[in-house]
Amino acid sequence: MTFEIPKVSYSGKIKEIPLGRGENIITVGGESCYPFHLFEGAIPHPPKIAMEVYDKEPEDWPDTALEPFADVAGDPVAWARKCVDTYGAEMIALQLASTDPNAEDTPADEAAAITKKVSDAVDVPLIVFGTSNTDKDTEVLKAVCETCEGKNLIIGPLGEGNYRAIGATAIGYKHTVMASTPIDINLAKQLNILLGNLNVPDDKIIIDPTTGALGYGLEYCYSVIERIRTAALIQEDERLQFPIIANFAKEVWKTKEVKLSEPEAPLLGDQKKRGVLMEAMTAQCVLLAGADILVMRHPEAINLVKESIQDLMIKGEG
Amino acid sequence: MGLSGIEIFKKLPKTNCGKCGVPTCLAFAMKLATGKAELDACPDLSEDVKEELGEASAPPVRTVVIGTGERAVKLGGETVLFRHEKRFENPPAFTLFLSDKMDESEISAKLTKFKETSYERVGLVLRPAMVAVKGEKDASGFMALVEKVCNDTDAALVLMNEDADALSQAAKTCSNRKPLIYAATMENVETLGNLAMELSCPLAVKGNSLEELAELSEKLIKMGVKDLILDSGARTAGKSLEDQIIIRRSALMKKFKPFGFPTIVFPCEMTDDPMKEAMIACQMVAKYGSIIVLSEIEGHSIFPLLLASMNIFTDPQRPMAVEQKIYEIGATDENSPVLITGNFSLTYFIVSGEVDASRVPSYLLIKDTEGLSVLTAWAAGKFGADTIAPFIKKCGIEEKVKHRKLVIPGYLATISGELEEELPDWEILIGPREASHLPAYLKELSA
Amino acid sequence: MSKIICSAAIRGAHKIVGTAEAKYEGALKKWGPDQEIGFPNTTYYLPIIYGMLGIPVKTLADAKKVLDKCKKLLPEPVSDKVWLPYLAPALEAGMATFFAEEIIEAIRYLEDPDFYTKGEDPLPDNIWLGAADDVIMRKRGVEFVDGTAPGFAAILGAAPTKEIAAKIAIELQEKNLYVFMCGDHEGKTMSEQLIEAGVQIGWPTRLVSFGPSYMAAVFAIGFATRAAMSFGGVKPGDFAANLRYNKDRIFAFAMPLGTVTDEWYANAAGAINWGFPTIADTPIPQILPTGICTYEHVVSNIPHDQIVAKAIEVRGLKVSISKVDIPMSYGPAFEGERIRKDDLYFECGGGRTLGVELTVSKDMSEVEDGKIEMIGPDLDQVKEGDKLPFAMLIEVAGRQMQSDFEPILERQIHHLVNYVQGIMHIGQRNIMWIRVGKAAVEKGFLLKHLGTVMHAKYHQDFGGIVDKVQVKLYTDEEKVKEILELSKKVYKKRDERVEGMTDETEETYYSCTLCQSFAPSHVCIITPERVGMCGAYNWLDCKASFEINPTGPNQPIIKGECTEPVLGQWKGITDFVNKASRQKVEQVSAYSLMNFPMTACGCFECVATILPMCNGIMVVNRDFMGMTPCGMKFTTLAGMVGGGNQTPGFLGVSKHYICSKKFLLAEGGLKRVVWLPKMLKEELAERMKPICEEMGIPNFADMIADETVGTTEEEILPFLEEKGHPALTMDPLM
Ligand code: SF4
Ligand code: SF4
Ligand code: SF4
Repeated sequence: MTFEIPKVSYSGKIKEIPLGRGENIITVGGESCYPFHLFEGAIPHPPKIAMEVYDKEPEDWPDTALEPFADVAGDPVAWARKCVDTYGAEMIALQLASTDPNAEDTPADEAAAITKKVSDAVDVPLIVFGTSNTDKDTEVLKAVCETCEGKNLIIGPLGEGNYRAIGATAIGYKHTVMASTPIDINLAKQLNILLGNLNVPDDKIIIDPTTGALGYGLEYCYSVIERIRTAALIQEDERLQFPIIANFAKEVWKTKEVKLSEPEAPLLGDQKKRGVLMEAMTAQCVLLAGADILVMRHPEAINLVKESIQDLMIKGEG
Repeated sequence: MGLSGIEIFKKLPKTNCGKCGVPTCLAFAMKLATGKAELDACPDLSEDVKEELGEASAPPVRTVVIGTGERAVKLGGETVLFRHEKRFENPPAFTLFLSDKMDESEISAKLTKFKETSYERVGLVLRPAMVAVKGEKDASGFMALVEKVCNDTDAALVLMNEDADALSQAAKTCSNRKPLIYAATMENVETLGNLAMELSCPLAVKGNSLEELAELSEKLIKMGVKDLILDSGARTAGKSLEDQIIIRRSALMKKFKPFGFPTIVFPCEMTDDPMKEAMIACQMVAKYGSIIVLSEIEGHSIFPLLLASMNIFTDPQRPMAVEQKIYEIGATDENSPVLITGNFSLTYFIVSGEVDASRVPSYLLIKDTEGLSVLTAWAAGKFGADTIAPFIKKCGIEEKVKHRKLVIPGYLATISGELEEELPDWEILIGPREASHLPAYLKELSA
Repeated sequence: MSKIICSAAIRGAHKIVGTAEAKYEGALKKWGPDQEIGFPNTTYYLPIIYGMLGIPVKTLADAKKVLDKCKKLLPEPVSDKVWLPYLAPALEAGMATFFAEEIIEAIRYLEDPDFYTKGEDPLPDNIWLGAADDVIMRKRGVEFVDGTAPGFAAILGAAPTKEIAAKIAIELQEKNLYVFMCGDHEGKTMSEQLIEAGVQIGWPTRLVSFGPSYMAAVFAIGFATRAAMSFGGVKPGDFAANLRYNKDRIFAFAMPLGTVTDEWYANAAGAINWGFPTIADTPIPQILPTGICTYEHVVSNIPHDQIVAKAIEVRGLKVSISKVDIPMSYGPAFEGERIRKDDLYFECGGGRTLGVELTVSKDMSEVEDGKIEMIGPDLDQVKEGDKLPFAMLIEVAGRQMQSDFEPILERQIHHLVNYVQGIMHIGQRNIMWIRVGKAAVEKGFLLKHLGTVMHAKYHQDFGGIVDKVQVKLYTDEEKVKEILELSKKVYKKRDERVEGMTDETEETYYSCTLCQSFAPSHVCIITPERVGMCGAYNWLDCKASFEINPTGPNQPIIKGECTEPVLGQWKGITDFVNKASRQKVEQVSAYSLMNFPMTACGCFECVATILPMCNGIMVVNRDFMGMTPCGMKFTTLAGMVGGGNQTPGFLGVSKHYICSKKFLLAEGGLKRVVWLPKMLKEELAERMKPICEEMGIPNFADMIADETVGTTEEEILPFLEEKGHPALTMDPLM
C-alpha cells in the first residue's frame, strides 16, 4: 500500500553562526527543518555540547557531579583542559558563578582575568555566562569582552536591562552574544530586534530562551523552543532564525532529586545514574524541541546525549 | 474535530434536559467540541446525527483503552502535533518487558520493582503502567507466565507471541483483563483480527515498514477491528523518530485512517545499555510513543522518564497546582522563618528548592491560588490580603511558631500594608523578587 | 541656506583646501610621494577620508588623490550676483574642508611628531591629545553605542571667562556627554580655561583637549566616522550609511564660542553632513529645519547659561537619570506601606483638605527641564499633625508628546509616589490623598521631593515621549484652588476627547500580543471603541505604549479598507492578525460574536455567549462564581474559550466594551443582552443609561435578567417575555 508522507514545507532557515576562531571554528545552526527531521530537510551542523567549567570551586554540588572534576575544581584552567583533553569537549561554557553579588561577588576584572586564562588554555569555542544579575553582568561581561578581544567568545546572558551596554562592547571587541529572555517567544523576538537595531551583526546572535530542569518547568522551555523554531522555519519570523542555546545543567544539579542518596530514597534508584539521566533527559527533550547548543555538566550524561545525537542524525534505515 | 461548539449545538435536541451530565445542550456541545465528552452521553440523539457528529468529533488519533478497572490505561486521543497548540491528552504507558526465557527469580525481582515503583507529585500518581509478557519458548511456559503476571498484578497487559495459537490461548484465558494482543502481521492478520473482535481486546499491528503497516491496519479496519495499536517495526532511534512523526502527521494532517491509532515502541530492543535505553524512551515520550516497552524498571531511570512524561503532557493552558498547606522544609522549630507563596506547582518547586538550598529550616505556606503564579493570582484577586489573612489564621502556623513575621514574595510588596492591617499581630517582611535570591535572604534573616 | 553662512563656509573651505595644498607641496618636496603618513595606532587611516571615500591614505601620494577630489567638491565662491538657495554646495564645501584638514593634521604628525601627546591624559607640558587611537576609540566608542555617553559637544574657541567655561563643561559632563575641544577665540582655548579653573581634563573626565587649532575638529568628526565603521558595521566608503548612522545614533553638536570665522563656518557646514547641528553664542544667522539634521541646523545667540539646555533640545538628546535623588529609599518594595495614625506627621487631600494632581503637556519653550518649585510652606515649616491644601502640577514637553498621553502619565503618579519609603498615596485626580510619616520627615523629606521623584521617573519610564519635565507644588490655598479650577477644565476636555473618538475617526488601531506567552495565537485588536478584553489597555494606552516601546507588544495597524462594516473587518487588520497569530487566525471581526470572533486569551474580564432559547446574549464577569443560564460557570467558559482560539458563540470582552456603541454590532449590540450577573449590571448601570436612551428603551436595564431572576434559560425566558425584551423579536442569532 502506498501513502504519501505528509511533509511540512519550510520557508525559513536558521542562520549559521561561526563560534570560536581560526581553525577551531565550530558552526552551529543552518537547519532547514525541525530537529532531526532528516526526511524532509537538512541539518548541516548537528547540535553541540558545551561542557561547564566554574570560576571557583563549587560549593553545593552533590558528590556525584563533582567527582569527575574533584582534582580540578578550584582551578578553572585545569578544569577546562580536563574537559577538552579527557572528555573531548566540543566547547567550554565558563560559568562565572562567583561574580554573583549574592555569592562571593568576585570583581569584574578578576573574572575577566580568569576568563582570559581559560580562553588561552583551550582552543575550542568558549561560552561565558554571568549570573543573570543585570548590573553585575554588565560590568563583568564588558570586562571579559575587553580582556579577550579577538577570541569570538559567546557571552551572555544579555537581557532587556543590559543588552545595550554588553551588546555594544561585544560589537567593539567582536564577540558573539546570547540574547536571554524569560521563556517568552515575543520577548525573545523583541530582544533580537533590539540587538539588530544596536547593529549587532546577525551572525553573532544566539537565543537563550531560559531552560529549566526536568520536573522543574521544563515543559515551558520545551514549548517555547518549539514555538521559536516553528516561527523561524515556517512562519517567516526572520528575527527568530537564530540558533538556540540551552543552559540547564546548573538547574538540574540543584534539584532535590539529584541530591538524595539511594538509602534516603530507595525508590529513586542509584543516585549517580539518576542525576546523569535527569541531566541527559533534560538535554534530550530540548534537543527534540530545537536546541543547537547544550550546556552540560556530567561526562556520562554528555556521552549519552552525544550518542543520542549520533543516532538521530542517521537517516532512514532500521 | 473541526466542528465548532455552535455547529455541534445546532444538531443537538436543544431540550436542556441535563441527562448528559451538564445542564444545557450548549454546554454539552462545547464539551464535545473540546473533546471532553463522549457523544454517547446524550441519550436523545438520532442515529443520523450520531453518525455525523461521531465522524466530526472523533479525535484523529483514536482513544484506545487497555486493561480494566483502576489500572486501565487510556492511550491516543491526540489532536495536535505540538503540545503548545493545545495539549497532549494521554501520557505514554511505560511497560515492563518480561519473557518466558528469563528465569523465575529475575521475573519476580522485576515484577516486584514494577509493583513498588510509584511516586506522588503534584497530587498525581506516577508509575509504570503495563507489563508486556513475551512467549519465546513453548506455549505452556508462556501460559504459565501470563498466569503468574495476572495473579501478581492488576496492571494492564501486553501479550506477545509470534505463535498465533499460543497467543490466542493466552488471550482467551485473560480476556477479562482486556490485554493488548501483540501483534497482527502479514502472516496472521486474519486470525488475530478475528480473535481481537471475538474477545473485544485491542490489537497491535506490526509492519516491516510504514507501507506494510498501513496495509495491515487498513485491512483490520475493514474487518471491523476498532482498537488498534501501531508498530512500524523500526528498531533504531532515528528511524523510530521518523516513523512516529509520519504516523502522527498522517493521522492529523491527512486524516489518514490507518494511522489514526496510538503506537507501541520498543526501546528495550534497540540497545543493550539500560542508560541508553532510557534515553531512547525519553525521545519517545516527546515524540509520540504511546506504549514504551522497557527492559527494566529502575528508580533512577523510570523516575526521570515519568517526570518527562508529566512535563510533556501537562496542559499548557492550565497550570499544575500543589496542595494548600504548611510545608516544613528542614528541621523546623518555633523560631523558623515563615514564608508564603501561591500554589502554582512551578512556584512551589522552585521556592521550596531554594529554601532547601539555603539550609535555613523554614515553614513554607502554600496558599491555594488555583495554580496561578503569584502576580497573576494577585491580579485575579486570589492572593490579596483579604484571602491571605484568613488562611494564615486557619492554617495552624500560629501554633507552630513563636514569632509573628511573615515573608511575602517581593512582587507583592504592594499588599504589605493591607496585610498588616488584616493581620495586626504579624509583621510583614518583603522577600526577594526572585526565588534564586532566597538563600541569601534567609541566611541574613536568620543570622 | 542662509546666504551669509553659505558664502562664508565656501570661502573658508577654499582657504583650508589651499592651506592643505601648500602643506602637501612642502611635504612632498621634503619626503617624496612614498612617504608614509597617518594618525597613530589606527587601522582606519585618515578616518573621515576612509569612511566617506573608502580611500586608505597611507602615503603622500594617496593624499594627492584626495586633494584633487577636494577641489572638485569645492563650489565656486559665492558672488553677490549668484543666489544660492540650497544647502548642498555648503555641505560639499564642508566635506572638502574635513578632507583637507585631515591631510593637514597628518602632515603635522609627520613634521612634528610630538605636537600631540599620545595617550588618554594631558601631560604637564603638553595638553593636546590629538587623534584618538584605536584603543581609546573602542573603549569610548562602546559608551556611545550603549548610551552611557549619548554623544559629544565639539566646542570651538573659548568662553568669555574661565568660570563660564567650567560651568558649560560641567553641565555637559552632567549630561554624560563628551566634550571635544579645539580652536581658540582671541588666543584663548577652552582647554586652557578649564585647566585654569581647576577642572581636570582628558579622556577619563570626558573633557578632551584635541588641539589648539580649529582644524582639530576633524579628530571629533573622525571619531564619529570610525564609530560608525566599527560599531555600526558600516563599510568604508559607504558615506550615506555612515552619515545616517551618526545622525541617528551619535548625539553630537558643534558649539562655537566666540567669533565665527569663515573657517569655523566651513567646519560647521561639514558637521551638518553628519547631522550634527551648530549652537552658537554669537548672533550668526540661524538655519531652521530642512531635513539634514533631526531638528534645527544652526541656532544662534544663545546665552551661556542656556546654551547646554538648548543644545540638548536641538539635538534631540534624551536626558537620562539613573537615580531618584531624595533622602528616602525608593522602590516598588515600599509601594504597599500604610501610614497609620500614630506614625502620621502630615497629610493632604483625601477629603481632609483640598488636593489635586495634574499632568499637562506644554510647548517645548514653556518647560524648563528639572525645574521644581514649591509655592507655599513645605514640611520643614509645618508641625506634626498639620494638614494643608495641596496641588501638584506636572508640566511636560516633548517632541513626541501628545496631549492624549497626559492621562496615562498622570495615572503613574499614584505608584511612583507610593514607591517613596514612608509616604502613602491613595486615589488620583482631585480625590488624591497623601500621608507623610514621621520617619520620612525625620530623614528630611520635603513635599518638594515629590517633584524630584516625578521628574526622574517620567524621564526614566517615559523617555520615549517626554523630553522635559517641570513640577510645581502648591500648599497655598488660593493657588491650589486655581489649579483645581484648571484641572476641572482639563478633565472635561479629556473626557470629551475620549467620547469624541470613534472607530470611524481613527485610521490606526493597535494590537496587543502580551498574552501570547500562554495563548500562542492570541491577538487583541484595540480600537477607540473596543478596549482590550482584559480591560487594562485602551486605544490611547496602546498608542503611548508604542511610542515608549516601539518594538513592544502594542503595534499600530493601519486598518485599511473596511470590508465588513457591521462585522468589523478591515483589510489591514485581517492581514496583521494573520501574521501576528502566525497564520492561525485567518479572519477576525471586531464586532461579532458569531462570525470570526476575536480569539480569547484567558485574562478577559468577562465572557459573552449566546442563549439560544432566548435568542439573546449573556455576559458573565470573572467575579461571578455561580451558575449561568448557558449551563456553564465562568471558570468552565474560560476553560473552553481561552488559549488563543476562535470559538464562535463565545467571546472574551472587557466590561468597558459592553457599554460601547460597537458592542457586538453584528448581533444587534446591547439590545441582545438578556442576562448579566447583578453585580455587573449594577457596575455598568451609569454607563448603560445613555445607550439605552439612544436605543429608545430608557428602562432597558430592567429588562435584563440576572441571577435573582434565574440561572437557566427556562427560568429567565418568562421574565423576558413579560418585560417584552427586544431580543425575543430580533433576527434569529443562529
Ligand atoms: S442529554 Fe442531550 S438533550 Fe439533554 S441536555 Fe444533554 S445534550 Fe441536551
Ligand atoms: S535654510 Fe533658510 S536661508 Fe537656507 S535655503 Fe532654507 S530657508 Fe533659505
Ligand atoms: S487581554 Fe489585555 S494584555 Fe492580553 S492581549 Fe488583550 S489587551 Fe493585551
